[in-house]
Amino acid sequence: MLKRRIIPKLLIKEKAYDAATRAILVVTKNYDQVSDVGDPISQAKIYEAQLADELIVLNIDSRPVATDVPLLNMIERLASETFMPLAVGGGVTQLDDFALLLERGADKVSINAAAVHDPSLISRAAERFGSQCVIVSIDFRRDAVRQLDVVMTHHAARDAGAEVVDWARRAADSGAGEILLTDADRDGTGVGLNLAVGKAVSAAVDVPVILSGGCGVAQHFVDGFLVAGAEGVAAGTFFCFRDQNPMQTRAHVRSAGIPIRLQT
Amino acid sequence: MSALTVGIVNYRSGNIRSVVNAVESVGARARLVSEPGDTDACSHLILPGVGAFGFCAEKLTRSGLLPAIEQSVLIEGKPLLGICVGMQLMADFSEELGRHAGLGWVGGMVTGLHHDAERGIRVPHVGWDDVLFKQSLGLFAEGESVDFYFDHSFALQGAALGHEVGTCHHGRDFSAIVRRGNILAVQFHPEKSQTAGMRLIESFLAMQPNA
Repeated sequence: MLKRRIIPKLLIKEKAYDAATRAILVVTKNYDQVSDVGDPISQAKIYEAQLADELIVLNIDSRPVATDVPLLNMIERLASETFMPLAVGGGVTQLDDFALLLERGADKVSINAAAVHDPSLISRAAERFGSQCVIVSIDFRRDAVRQLDVVMTHHAARDAGAEVVDWARRAADSGAGEILLTDADRDGTGVGLNLAVGKAVSAAVDVPVILSGGCGVAQHFVDGFLVAGAEGVAAGTFFCFRDQNPMQTRAHVRSAGIPIRLQT
Repeated sequence: MSALTVGIVNYRSGNIRSVVNAVESVGARARLVSEPGDTDACSHLILPGVGAFGFCAEKLTRSGLLPAIEQSVLIEGKPLLGICVGMQLMADFSEELGRHAGLGWVGGMVTGLHHDAERGIRVPHVGWDDVLFKQSLGLFAEGESVDFYFDHSFALQGAALGHEVGTCHHGRDFSAIVRRGNILAVQFHPEKSQTAGMRLIESFLAMQPNA
């Protein structure tokens, strides 16, 4: 039986250290306040030892991938020093970006704003690399005035003019192999996942949905799987800053009767 | 014992870097096979593959490496491991985006997996799923059930009788591991399957050339 996935999310930003620019690990709150954490490679190795099922790496600078040497080098090192599935996104705008990231060791590539701007990028990528390689990442916020959950791009600062369930359905129909769904208002807050939107999107698409944004306790993962029907739950801050790790979370999820991988 | 040299077929399809790293981590030497002559120094070969079947098949043909691989595997009997689409390419044919002929080395056909909302089956089949070993293979015993990492929408069924080593179930049964003589093929990604994946690669490296 297919296991549900616990997925640490590594947010990456570039910083100048000495003479070199390096890709470092950060966490965010509401996609806005950024705090430095440290070295993404050593953190990834810890996650691997703690039996994380997969890693998602998102470059939040969103510089063009093709010229982003520190990021590409970091991905290459990450892929050579860990033996786990690796999804990479942030700043991906064209098919060549997919090829470049896959060559450096990514297994899956996530697209966000570029897919909203030109949905044909999803189908073209799926045709060339296979749907299983294409993750459409969707950030959303609640619009209180319109009573709608709206798709946001550019670090959730720009309204993309679409409703979240509708966009998820169109992305899946275009050939997305997975949907990574993040509630920007809950990002980094620990108040719990947006189960209602997660459930609505899971019901609207036939592809796996990874739910993210708001995990604060292990029970939030259980809720994401059981209530929202997510196949994966991703978290950044939860694993970075709290006295929680994927192993402990796994035990809690297991106790709730959810199928999950127990050993390597 | 001198280190084994594993040739990884470099036909510009997919993530060969991870395969190289996995091979080296179990103590073997990895070598990219980019020219036909590159297979000479290799004791084992790996055929990776990511993407649509037709796209990969065309790339493999155009690479000009196929005659050298056939010579090494079918004539000289060197062990070959096909991974993901690299496995599917060895079937008789695939139904992905039209009908495409395969190499026919392990038999069977590659057909789509289907989603089933009522049973919670989503496609692509992404994540860790258990493979049931119907036969022993190297470090794996018959009857053992082991989680490996999958990421695919199409899968092999109908492999020749007795050649199916491991099965998986996602909406329907499919072949997760097939072995025919010196040819081994797996649908999952051993190079991404942590400890279980390394055991699989070690089991492959323990395979001897056919006399």
